[in-house]
This record gives sequence, structure tokens and C-alpha cells, in this order.
Amino acid sequence: MTPQLLAIAMAVVLLFAVILLLRSYVLPEKYAVIWIGAALAAIVLSAWPGLLAAISHFFGIAQPINLLFVGAFFVVLLLLMQVTLELARTRDELRRVVQKVALEQEESRDDR
Amino acid sequence: MLVAVPALNEAAALGRVLESLATAQPLRDVVVIDDGSSDETARIAREAGARVISHAINLGVGAAMGTAFKFAARAGYDAVIQFDGDGQHRPEFIPDLIAALDSADLVIGSRYSSGGSYKSSAARRSVQRFIARVTSLYARTRLTDATSGFRISGPRAVAVFAEHYPVEWLGDTVESIVLATRQGLKVAELPVAMNERAGGVPSQSILRATLYTGRILFILGLASIRRVPPAARRARRDAEEAA
Repeated sequence: MTPQLLAIAMAVVLLFAVILLLRSYVLPEKYAVIWIGAALAAIVLSAWPGLLAAISHFFGIAQPINLLFVGAFFVVLLLLMQVTLELARTRDELRRVVQKVALEQEESRDDR
Repeated sequence: MLVAVPALNEAAALGRVLESLATAQPLRDVVVIDDGSSDETARIAREAGARVISHAINLGVGAAMGTAFKFAARAGYDAVIQFDGDGQHRPEFIPDLIAALDSADLVIGSRYSSGGSYKSSAARRSVQRFIARVTSLYARTRLTDATSGFRISGPRAVAVFAEHYPVEWLGDTVESIVLATRQGLKVAELPVAMNERAGGVPSQSILRATLYTGRILFILGLASIRRVPPAARRARRDAEEAA
């Protein structure tokens, strides 16, 4: 077995996981696009190593694997940023909802 | 029968919309779903005499209709009409929608089929036509205006939608058609005339139209591979036994 086969298999498993999560409504469409994109990029890069070498050559990077590490690290940082922003928004929304429920409980107590 | 008006910051138009709606439907059977508006939408609706349900935060039209269907199922309504709060839809077609329910579970009011005379830009029209054509393949019936928000859901559709209504942004209209079809419900369309949008003119550049079309196609593809939630399936079976 070559390492390339292993890489392709892992990328395909990722794609399948994303599709299964989408199917059962666990993963919303909004986040699915980015994950499908990541899985497809992983499949293309592992099935066609020449592409990575060509891009590395273009940027003047001696070891193609370094490009992969830098690129992947950057994408992971961006994803992390998105998750942080979503978390902040969700916390803000949760606060507003809890406040509204609390205010309405108080109002309905006045009615009685 | 319940008329549901999803509304987000529609204070400017809502008063007149409810006034005209009152000619076709008593306002106590009209519910305005205020989807987290920051203006006077809820107060205007309440003062006009409609029922008001307010979301604490903005959740989108799909979630607003989901709330409306849950309310309808709880309150025992057997049909729900979706009617926009911006003055685009005309109450005089409500009786036609109700009549069309005799032979279908979900009837979509179309502004593009032969009876309608809606003016819109060529780009917008061709985008809508393409989306309608793809949706028609799923629905196994000819639809010309799949994204129309003027529609009526019969008893079986209300039972299904109260359990599950699509929430993806701008995709709820087409995804609900696919969901209904996959539950064995019959979808039909009815030609209606619509007013020009009372609010701002929707901007439609080529790029935005392409992105929009891509999103809708992605949602359609997703809707066809997604499992129908078991609760929705159960609701439809119960509704069939009751009928």
C-alpha cells in the first residue's frame, strides 16, 4: 500500500462523513459548503500530487510538503475564526432570548 | 383556516396589508409572525386586531413559517395560507387558493403562469424560470414560480410542516416543495397576480443571481438526499388516518 492511497482514503472518509451529517440534519447547509470544499480539495491534492509540486514551484518553495502544511494551517485558522465569531453571535442571541423570557414571565405574573 | 404573515421590520407596509387582508379573512384568524423586528411591526399588527407571535431574535422566513405551522396545529387550524407583509400579495386570490386545495395538499400562487402579469427584469425572470424547472422535476408537476411565498397548505401538509419546516435562508420555499413531494403530498400551482414590491427594489446583479441560483440548486440537491425527519413522517400518517 502506498501513502497516496491512504491519503485518498482519508479524504474520501471525510467527504462521506460530511454527507452523512448533512443527510441527518446535524450539519447545517451554511457550514457544509466549506467542509465539502475541504474534503474535495483533500481528494484532489492526494490523488494528483503533481499539482502540489507545481504550485510549490510557482511560489518558489523547495519542499512541496511545506506548502501543504502552511496552507492547511491557514485554512484551519480561518475555520477557527469563523467558529469563534459564530459562538460570540450565539451567546449574544442566547442572552437576548433569556432576557425576553424573563421579562415575559414577570409580565404574566402581573396579569394574574 | 389561518393566514400567516411572516414579517421582519414591515411597520411601513403592514398596516395597509392587514387592512386589505381583512376584506378576505377575519383578522382574529390572521397571525403575524414578527421575526425579531426592531421597529413597530408587532404593535401595529396587534392594534390592527391580528394575533402576533414575536421571535426574540431574527431566525429567517423559514423559521417564522415553522412557528406559524406549529401554532396552527396546536390551535386546530386545518389549512395555513402564507401571505407576505410587504404588500406584494393580493387578498382577492385567497378564495381561489382555498378552492384549489380540493385537489392538492400544497398550492403555490404563481405570478409567472399564464394568468399572472408580473413585471420583472429579464435576468430575474430567467433565474426564477430555471429554479422552477428544476423544482418541477422533483415535484412531478409543472411549476413556474417555485420561490413564491403566496401559498396554501392543506391538513396533511400542515401536519408535516408543524413537525418540520425547512429553515435554510431563502431556501424554505423550494425545500418545502421537495419535502411535501417526498411525503407523497400533491403539489399544484395557481396563477395569481401580484403587486410590485412596496419596499425597495431588489437588486439583482449577475453575480448575485448566479450565487443565488447556485445556493438554491445546492439546497434542492440536499433536500433530495436528506432523510425525512421521522416526526414529520409520523405526523403525515396520523393526518391520513384522521382523514
